Amino acid sequence: MTKILVIADIKDGVLKGSTKELLSKAKAIGAETAVAAIGSNIESLSADLANAGSDTQYIADDADLELFTAGPFASCVVDAAKLFEADLIWFGFSETGKAVAPRVAAKIDAACASDITDIEIDGGQITITRPAIANKVMQKIKINTKQLVAVVRAGAFEADPGISGSENVVKLSAPEPDLKAVIKEVVSDASGEIDLGDADIVISVGRGTKDQAGIDLVKGLADDLGAGFGSSRAMVDAGLLAQNKQVGQTGKIVAPNLYMAMGISGAIQHLAGMTGSKTILAVNKDPEAPIFNVADYGIVGDLFEVVPILREEIKKIKG
Amino acid sequence: MKILTTIKKVVDVELNINVENGAIIEDGLQYVMNAWDENAVETAVQLKEKNKAETTLVNIGSGDDNTKIIRKGFAMGIDNAIQIDDPALENSDPSIYARIIQKVYENGEYDLIITGKQAQDTDSGQTGIILAEFLGLPCVSNIIDIEAVGDQHIKVSRLGDAGTEILELELPAVVTVSDGINEPRLPAMRGIMMAKKKKINVMDLAGLGTSWEELGGGSPQSEITEFLKSETRQAGQKFEGDAAEITAKVVDLLANEAKVI
Repeated sequence: MTKILVIADIKDGVLKGSTKELLSKAKAIGAETAVAAIGSNIESLSADLANAGSDTQYIADDADLELFTAGPFASCVVDAAKLFEADLIWFGFSETGKAVAPRVAAKIDAACASDITDIEIDGGQITITRPAIANKVMQKIKINTKQLVAVVRAGAFEADPGISGSENVVKLSAPEPDLKAVIKEVVSDASGEIDLGDADIVISVGRGTKDQAGIDLVKGLADDLGAGFGSSRAMVDAGLLAQNKQVGQTGKIVAPNLYMAMGISGAIQHLAGMTGSKTILAVNKDPEAPIFNVADYGIVGDLFEVVPILREEIKKIKG
Repeated sequence: MKILTTIKKVVDVELNINVENGAIIEDGLQYVMNAWDENAVETAVQLKEKNKAETTLVNIGSGDDNTKIIRKGFAMGIDNAIQIDDPALENSDPSIYARIIQKVYENGEYDLIITGKQAQDTDSGQTGIILAEFLGLPCVSNIIDIEAVGDQHIKVSRLGDAGTEILELELPAVVTVSDGINEPRLPAMRGIMMAKKKKINVMDLAGLGTSWEELGGGSPQSEITEFLKSETRQAGQKFEGDAAEITAKVVDLLANEAKVI
């Protein structure tokens, strides 16, 4: 039986939805599942990890793991993979996954695949599908190693609410700290914000939002809806929003139920980060803006006029 | 400080890319330096300007398009260029590229390797990190700031899941850069003229002191078997006119047709 180890995505001490999505896919292809949770003060998550669909939970819980550094994190993953004898090691789509997956692959001499959207296993032969060239094409890649380390693209697999697992905790020993890459501090802390990867609705602002007043206006709508708040590159380059807000080929890749693009023209690099969304609403003054080519619903108009009306109309519906 | 930076030729992503019979149609495509590698070159040149570094770029490939991007690297201020040109290298996987750069590193004495965080054609983001692992060097990916701390260390800012992470690395080290780190300069005319005269140190795998077999080329870890067209979204309903009226209409559709609010 194929053994799949899923690396838990944990933010602010809470297990993120992507972990269940990956475990659901693993169960759907008939694999034996385990999860590796790596961090500080996370032992209490074991029941959540089991409920997400894992049958074994490898937990590395150590004060030194509170701040992320890729080397020690990768060592913990390798330990869990060895104990479990994992064939496949899956990361959710995150900066952590992108930094750690290639390290793990190099350490265990396995192939690494980034950003996968599908996987087939046929008599031990693994083939993956993934987008490339800013989503303009898809690639099918044949994996020639027995093991595969993969980062799964946001929204690629759906969570199955019916799955469950069983609690069977294996503690991992604390890794050696990386003395040559020492983390000093984390600034512009992203804790407490709605995670773009987990949000059902993501609202992003672009050049048409103009300034702080425009941002605040759209943020009001995001607050009404409990939506994640993102940005196009233009607003990051203008210094109006932090880089961790950027949606696109180089930033976050999101696939929410509803994506609202406010004053975003739709450069190819931005589209690469959001066209996996189920429904897209675009508001833009320019009727020829490329964003309308991918939007299910488009409002041609000034967002400074449209957003207040959107808020009112949505309030009427949601009561 | 001796800095090695990597540059890759990639297809220009602004152009339409068509797929037929499982392969990309090459006709009409144009090639440019990977945008994140431009950031890597800029990072190297800025470090040189501040800290008297010697900068070398390495490129794997052949043909005019590769020569063009190497010349651009020179024009931006890179001192030396190494090109690994060997017919065996078509369609290599990230680990083979990493093994080649490992050899280049071992043949020189470098303090810092700077790569782009990913290439615009594959979007994989693996080579720099795997390289560091092969070399046993400390590595931080996705950095948006870098400064030298004395001769033996660098301080970097990394865009991570928890926020902006500040790390101090012991040299030698590997970093991969995000586009947020800088705005790559447009080469000045003088730089472009000088770049034409500079020598590119071209070598094949034997010249590098390795072979296709030693790099694991006979048994790649992965192989692209097929390209497929991406599913493209269709434009939906676009409304123009009275803002109050069309906005109310769209909210109704979001609630009752798409059922997403």
